[in-house]
Amino acid sequence: MFNKNPLRKRQYIGSLIGIGIGLLIFIILPQKATEDFLSLGPMNTGHEGLSCDACHTDAKGNLMQQIQANVAFTFGTRKKPVDFGTENVDTKKCLECHDRPNDRHPTHRFFEPKFKDAIAKIDATQCETCHREHNDTRVVLADATFCVNCHYDLKVKNDPIDVPHSQLIANEQWSTCLQCHDFHGNHIYKTAEKIKDTIALTKIQDYLAGGDDPFTKNKKHLPLSEEEWKKIKSKYKK
Amino acid sequence: MKNLKFTKFALVLSLTKILTSCGGSMPEESATEIAINDKAFSVEEVLEMVASENDVTRTLYTKGIVGAGKKQGLKFDEDWQDDEVEAGPLPALFLRGISSDIRKSSVPLGLYLGSDFPINASNKLEGKQAELFKKIKANQKPQFFYDESQKLHTAMFADMAMAAPCVNCHNDHKNTTKKDWKLGDVMGATTWQYPSDSLSYKEAIGVLNAYRNGTKAIYNAYLAEIANFKNSPKPAIGNTWPSKGFNLPTAEVFIDSVRKLTSYKSLEILVKKGVPVASN
Repeated sequence: MFNKNPLRKRQYIGSLIGIGIGLLIFIILPQKATEDFLSLGPMNTGHEGLSCDACHTDAKGNLMQQIQANVAFTFGTRKKPVDFGTENVDTKKCLECHDRPNDRHPTHRFFEPKFKDAIAKIDATQCETCHREHNDTRVVLADATFCVNCHYDLKVKNDPIDVPHSQLIANEQWSTCLQCHDFHGNHIYKTAEKIKDTIALTKIQDYLAGGDDPFTKNKKHLPLSEEEWKKIKSKYKK
Repeated sequence: MKNLKFTKFALVLSLTKILTSCGGSMPEESATEIAINDKAFSVEEVLEMVASENDVTRTLYTKGIVGAGKKQGLKFDEDWQDDEVEAGPLPALFLRGISSDIRKSSVPLGLYLGSDFPINASNKLEGKQAELFKKIKANQKPQFFYDESQKLHTAMFADMAMAAPCVNCHNDHKNTTKKDWKLGDVMGATTWQYPSDSLSYKEAIGVLNAYRNGTKAIYNAYLAEIANFKNSPKPAIGNTWPSKGFNLPTAEVFIDSVRKLTSYKSLEILVKKGVPVASN
């Protein structure tokens, strides 16, 4: 075979090396030990130790079906593409573990037309707007003054705090909101009635960056652990 | 040379064949794409149908559970899920619970409640919704529009003061923004959204089911709160309603009553517009 053209030998060896490397990648990369190597960055607070496949679950269909569906989409014979390899990690996926009936700001609330202007500034319909993963933090926003986008004209009747909300708003002190109010409303604690008793802004900033929880350790609902989630998932698969 | 050309051609042909036919096909997943040629209902018809079920459900909950329950000593609060509060959901929160549960389903239905004088400022209607609400207040007729930014068909329906507890609670609430509500007033509006302009029979049933499942879920959440009461007396949960004593109906009994009140009207619409049954 190599007598016809000496270049053939080089092609042959090159192909073998290519196939070999491909096989090695195919075998080694899916191993648990390589997860850190593959990860886009360190996991966010609370997600340390999660397996990749806790979020990056297998996409529907086999590889050939996925290719076929996406080829069909490319040529216009299918309306939507499909996930390839693993499913897209979206809000629905987050809520499989973090959905809580007492969420004060559930993502779906912001689909209402009245929030159109607010979500143009901060897309509260998606978890990842604030909690984008692989950033070794809790909240990725540069500052925590996002309440202004909806509550800019807030008026509080029977205001319980010594420095009234109207004054805080007039002074545009939007960083003070989180010093009393936990955004998702899952902490069990009593809000302060005097500004001096509120949680220090530095502690809030530290918390958002992934530090200790300054509100309380008591929470009404806990998210599902990876094991609990897998158990539920397998139950519904049957 | 000829052979090489033929081989290349055969290879391309085989690859195309493999890419387009092997491994079986993946069905399109969107709920709006099921039975695309079988769109029996306009989105307005379906939203009117589910809004009508919502009216009945809310009136039953407000009158039969909140109104009668209060007389028996049951408490209802906007912070009903807070740890230190031992109470049930007020009607507006009951609706929000239904809405949350619908979002968990695969049915792309949005449901919101708003008013021009809400107790909670976050429920104040704004923009296009506020504009259409003025018309609803004037003639109580539903309003429909296409929300271009979200690509969603949107409908608004009057939320009437159908029961005395609606009026009394809103007039007496410490944070109320209006104290002269009376029975029959348009107190607010429900806003419903759906992505497609027409629905198949299956999709219409899906919308109704998502709403009914939501009702069951929020009612069950209320019963679960009661089970965790530490300092308040727990009503007996069974077949009896608060009008007969310190009782609450089970979720099944509650939903069954909703079904009895709503099914006739809904079924009429479904049968009239639904898929014709083949005769023998």
